[in-house]
Amino acid sequence: MPVVTVNGAAVTVPENAPLSQALGAGVEMPCGGQGRCGKCRVMVRGAVSEPGETERARLTADELAAGVRLACQARVRGDCAVTLQSAGGDQIRLCGEMPAFVRRPAYRPWGAALDIGTTTLAGCLYGPGGELLAQASAPNPQSRWGADVISRIGAALQGEGPALAAAIREALAALVREMAAAAGGPAYQVDRYVVTGNTAMLYLLTGADPDCLSHAPFEADRRFGEAVRADALGLPGAGQVYLPRCMAAFVGADITCAALAAELCTRPGTRMLADIGTNGEIALWHGGQLLCCSTAAGPAFEGAGLSMGMPGRAGAVDHVTVENGALRAHVIGGAAPRGICGSGVVDALACLLETETLDETGYLEEDPAPIAPPVSLSQKDVRMVQLAKSAVCAGMRTLLKTAGLTGDQVEELAVAGGFGSYLSVASAGRIGLLPPELTDRVRVLGNAALAGASMLLLDPAFVPAAEAMADAARAVDLSTNPDFLQAYTDGMFF
Amino acid sequence: MSILTDISENLQRGKAKVVKELVQQAIDQGIPVQQILDEGLLAGMNVVGEKFKNNEVFVPEVLVAARAMNMGAALLKPLMKDAGVEAAGKVCIGTVKGDLHDIGKNLVKMMMEGKGLEVIDLGTDVAPETYVQTAIDQGCQIICCSALLTTTMGMMGEVVKKADEAGIRDKVKIMVGGAPVTQAFCDQIGADRYTPDAATAADVAVSICQASAC
Repeated sequence: MPVVTVNGAAVTVPENAPLSQALGAGVEMPCGGQGRCGKCRVMVRGAVSEPGETERARLTADELAAGVRLACQARVRGDCAVTLQSAGGDQIRLCGEMPAFVRRPAYRPWGAALDIGTTTLAGCLYGPGGELLAQASAPNPQSRWGADVISRIGAALQGEGPALAAAIREALAALVREMAAAAGGPAYQVDRYVVTGNTAMLYLLTGADPDCLSHAPFEADRRFGEAVRADALGLPGAGQVYLPRCMAAFVGADITCAALAAELCTRPGTRMLADIGTNGEIALWHGGQLLCCSTAAGPAFEGAGLSMGMPGRAGAVDHVTVENGALRAHVIGGAAPRGICGSGVVDALACLLETETLDETGYLEEDPAPIAPPVSLSQKDVRMVQLAKSAVCAGMRTLLKTAGLTGDQVEELAVAGGFGSYLSVASAGRIGLLPPELTDRVRVLGNAALAGASMLLLDPAFVPAAEAMADAARAVDLSTNPDFLQAYTDGMFF
Repeated sequence: MSILTDISENLQRGKAKVVKELVQQAIDQGIPVQQILDEGLLAGMNVVGEKFKNNEVFVPEVLVAARAMNMGAALLKPLMKDAGVEAAGKVCIGTVKGDLHDIGKNLVKMMMEGKGLEVIDLGTDVAPETYVQTAIDQGCQIICCSALLTTTMGMMGEVVKKADEAGIRDKVKIMVGGAPVTQAFCDQIGADRYTPDAATAADVAVSICQASAC
């Protein structure tokens, strides 16, 4: 029988079995293995069937070239090796979609785009013609200095800056080496990097003093948009690292990149971009002007801080629906429910509203409210989510108000980031995380920061345009804005 | 007296206009100012505060209730001095220097006002010396500091130092709060009291003022 090596561990399965059979609980199949949802993406090398029509419809040319397959569709023909993403990385599809453009890479032979997420690092390795060779993700090791950026800035100001810089540089280098190994060559072949992230992440990467980010008036004294030597950041090779321009102290290069990938400012019309994580970063393009803001959602949507919250891993309730008046939960990996992740929380609240267990003020008729026993949500959990969802939605409403717009004048709401990719848009509208009038205009982008960083890497002509866009962005301060306070308190209800 | 119960119940529902009308009626009926305040407005706010502490109601309900209370209190204020009604105590409150977060501080202020305390709001981004000088000039029994960021909460230690230097620690108690603040932090910087939520902060402030009145 063929041997399938899953993240280094060997499993034997019968020939012609679907790849998913070898992966068991390690892969999520919300559509039940029908090849419809694309959630079971895995990286495969070795003897597997050629991709059929179902897979071709779900996977991009880049993904197919990189060996990404749907585990429910690909069949085992002989020995092969599968890479499963771990640690919060149920995002097999790491890079968000890019618009069509001619790839004119200035590196040779390899280039890498890296995204420093506060929680997760992700990278893509590209070959001479701009083709995707490999992708990888890893947890951000700076988490041990705190889950949020402010804690890490605080740690850096207490003298931990060099340790924070060393940790992230080491992790990025490891990510590059992992991708290089998957592509079958030495990491020093990477000749050019684009490394994106929020403003604080770039400060901590370069070892810049983040004091200006730690207190009012929160004005960044560095906004990057500059190249540094790879070896100065501990990255393999002798090339250059381009750090994209940030818009403001808390609206970073990740949003600049996401806006590029979303074509936020290059198409006519009014459009909004939101990246929802611990911080909600929002940008609004209207009438040739770009407004941006950042709003503190807290860790509720990362699954942290809630009584039974957990990251989107096996055992997490990730989707909930109401069937015949009762809650029905989907659990990642099909295992017994152990906790609930961000997308599950949003669904669960929408369902509790539907069953009238939760009223419009956020009061729970039953505390704790069972979701998928033993998993439940407490009254305190609901209160925390009320603060978080209202902060995000109020940020959007404040930008709209500043531009003199109402929600229905927005043509598109592009949602970036991992959480946004798994979110049920209808539930998000129902609980008021997203403005309900915009839910039929939502476009889900995935990791748009990494997609934008890839664009800057694959065609340097995007660089001046992205810098000009970041320079022209006007940051709206929410903490002192009366419109925000009003929208924030109004938005806490359901 | 049913009109006072009406005031309390309408306040709890945030019906500011009705509260205002009822308070005017109560004044016209000759009900003592102190009684309207205690058994109408403050009784209603007390219920809201308890429910908030138990997570039964949330920030928006407190805000609308406080708005109703303020509209009623505005009618009573000019009459209070003549009637010899005095505040239960005096507090100055603000968000520390470098921090612009307003909402938590405002909630504490409203809860304290709901307990009949006079609260001087210094706003956000407040320098340590401003707290201390205000407490001295205005005769406050309490300085109340809020911080929402781990990078700004250290400023609370500076407030304690300034109060030490001014030699007011025996007369003025320092209360601290905000998301990143803990009892351990309070102990470390030598502040007097930490409270985890706005309703508890108001309860503690009242007990401090009562103790200092004895």
